[in-house]
Order: sequence, then structure tokens, then C-alpha cells
Amino acid sequence: MTIWWLVLILAALGSVGVAFIWVAVRVGNIGAKARPGSNPDETIQDRADHDVEHIFDADFREELRNRGRLHFEKIIGENAMFLQQDLRLTTSQLNEYMKTEITAKLTEEFDKYEQSIMDAKQLAIDSIQKTNVAIDEQRELMSQEVQKQIVLEKQEMAKRFEANMADIINHYVLAAVGNQIDLSDQLEYILGELEANKQAIIEDINSGA
Amino acid sequence: MAPNAHPDAERTPELPLLITSPVDVGRLIRELEQIDESLLQLGLRTGGQEVKMPKTSRLMDQTIELNDLNLLKPGDRSALKQFLIIVRQTAPVLHVSFGADPSVVFAEKLMTWLRQEIHPFTLITIGLQPNMGGGCIVRTTNHEFDFSLRRHFDEKKNLLIEQLAAAEQAA
Repeated sequence: MTIWWLVLILAALGSVGVAFIWVAVRVGNIGAKARPGSNPDETIQDRADHDVEHIFDADFREELRNRGRLHFEKIIGENAMFLQQDLRLTTSQLNEYMKTEITAKLTEEFDKYEQSIMDAKQLAIDSIQKTNVAIDEQRELMSQEVQKQIVLEKQEMAKRFEANMADIINHYVLAAVGNQIDLSDQLEYILGELEANKQAIIEDINSGA
Repeated sequence: MAPNAHPDAERTPELPLLITSPVDVGRLIRELEQIDESLLQLGLRTGGQEVKMPKTSRLMDQTIELNDLNLLKPGDRSALKQFLIIVRQTAPVLHVSFGADPSVVFAEKLMTWLRQEIHPFTLITIGLQPNMGGGCIVRTTNHEFDFSLRRHFDEKKNLLIEQLAAAEQAA
């Protein structure tokens, strides 16, 4: 926008200059026609130069220069103002854009980070659950093995107890009432047993060594 | 089996119940030999010299009393010695183990039964097995008869197991 303004101003200045030159040429031609007998080309040229020098003197050029400078400064100021507004607007938009983008990016990153944390958490939970399942299985196996061993040990103890039951009871009876057992009280039992095995004893004695 | 089954036949000598083991028989034989030796010396000595007669033991007294013998007679002594030697050589010997040392009365009752029911000259050797509890173990020449309380418990083991199982189920 600033360049177009500058071009327009320069075009206006050029149009004004051309208009002055055309006016000067027309005035010169009229003067030459008024002084007959002299060299028309030289005279017109001289007069034109003279009029140009007369019209566009140093003050006038300085005035034009000042006007142009002021106008140029004005345009520059306006453009600077527009530029500043544009710059502010752009900055504001840029800030808004940056804010939006950064927010979106941060949100996206946070989402990713949160997703990563959730994944890691899920992974850890899965791992813990697998570990718990494995521990439970191991505990179950160990429990079964211990139960099996206990049952086997119990069976073995029962078997040993049954195998040595007679000795155990005999030992218990001896320890409990051993001192009170008299052979005389057992005579009937012993004679009964001998009577029951009498024939076998006689046969064994008769068979000899 | 009774020693006096035929009264008309020649009387069979008997063993008193106090003689229970081959050791007792051997002791009687040695005692009889001492008596023989003493009486022989008595016959050989001249008058004026004192000869001490050996004292007979309770076993010998019972033996000569039971068999109506007179040890002053050489024939009776010879017959008794012969009889004792035969008994020592041929009498069935049972080894009986008890949990405690049996009393004399118990041994007499046992010998009475054995000599009435098994053999008139049965001898026994008594052993001790303190861990046996009650009852006895009788070993003959080729066999062992376990009449102990332990064997009795062993035979009744199933009964005890059933009782234990029933008690466990009830609990």
C-alpha cells in the first residue's frame, strides 16, 4: 500500500512539473511573436530560460521542496501509522496464532504425554496382574504340593503307626501298667495259648532236631 | 502220657516239679556222683576215721521221695543216675521267655501242665525279655510260639484301626 501511495505522489509531482513546462513554453512563444526582427529560435529559448529562471527561482524550488518533503513526511507518517497498525494487528494475530498453535501443540503433547503415561500405567498394571497371576499360580501349585506332601506324610505316619502299632501299644501298656502286671495273673492266658498250640508243640518235639 | 498208666508194669521214674531245667538235672547228676563218691569212700575207710556224708539238696530229696528210692542202695543210685542221664539227653527242652522273672509257684503250675500235657519229662529254660509286656514266647526245637501281648495286639490291630477310624469319623 505504501509503494502505491509513493508512486501516486510521484506521478502527481511529475504532472505538475509537465504542466509548468507547458505553460512556460506557451508564454515564451507568445513573447517571441511580440518581438519581430530577432532570431526567433534563440530568442524563444533565451526567454524560456529566462522565464524558467524567473518562475522557478530558488525560493519557489525551496517551497516546492519543502512541500514535497512535508507531503512525503506526511505520507511516510501515515504509512508508518498504517504500518504500525498493521504491525500491531499482525503482532496481535501472530500472538493469537502462536497462542493457539502453542496451546494446540501443548495440548497435543500433553495428550500424547498423558497417553504415554496411560500406556505405561496400563503396561505396569498388566505386568503386575500377570505377576499376580503367576504368583497365584505358583502359590496354588505350592499349596497343592504341600497338601500332597502333608497327605503323603500323614499316610506314611499312619502306615508306620499301623506297622508298629503293636510295639507302640505294648510300650504304652508296659510304661503305664507294666509294674502291675503279674505273671500269676497271666497263667490262665498262657496255659490257654499253650493248650491251643499243644498239638503243634508235641509234633515239633516228636519230630526232633 | 501219665507216668503211672500201667500199675503192673515196671514203675517209671518221675521228675519232681522243682526240677525244671537241664541245669537242675545236671546239678542232680553231680550231686548223685558226690553221694556215690562219699559212700565209696565210706566203704573203703577203716574204723575210727570219720567220713562226712554229703547233704542232699531239696531237689534230691524230692526226687528220691517221689520215686521211693534209697540212695544207700547202689542199685537205686545207679538207676537214678541212669534215669537222670537219659532225661538230660532225651528230655524235650522248651525255652520260655517271660517279661519278668516267674515265681516258683508259677513255674510249678507251668511245669505241671507241661508234664501232663506235653511230655512227662519236659524241661524248660527260662529267659527274660522285659520289653515283651505280658504273655510268653515258647521256642521248641524247630519252632517258635509267640504268646506275647505284643503278638496279641498285632493280631487285633485291625480292630484298633477300625475303632480309630470310627472315632475319627465321629470327630
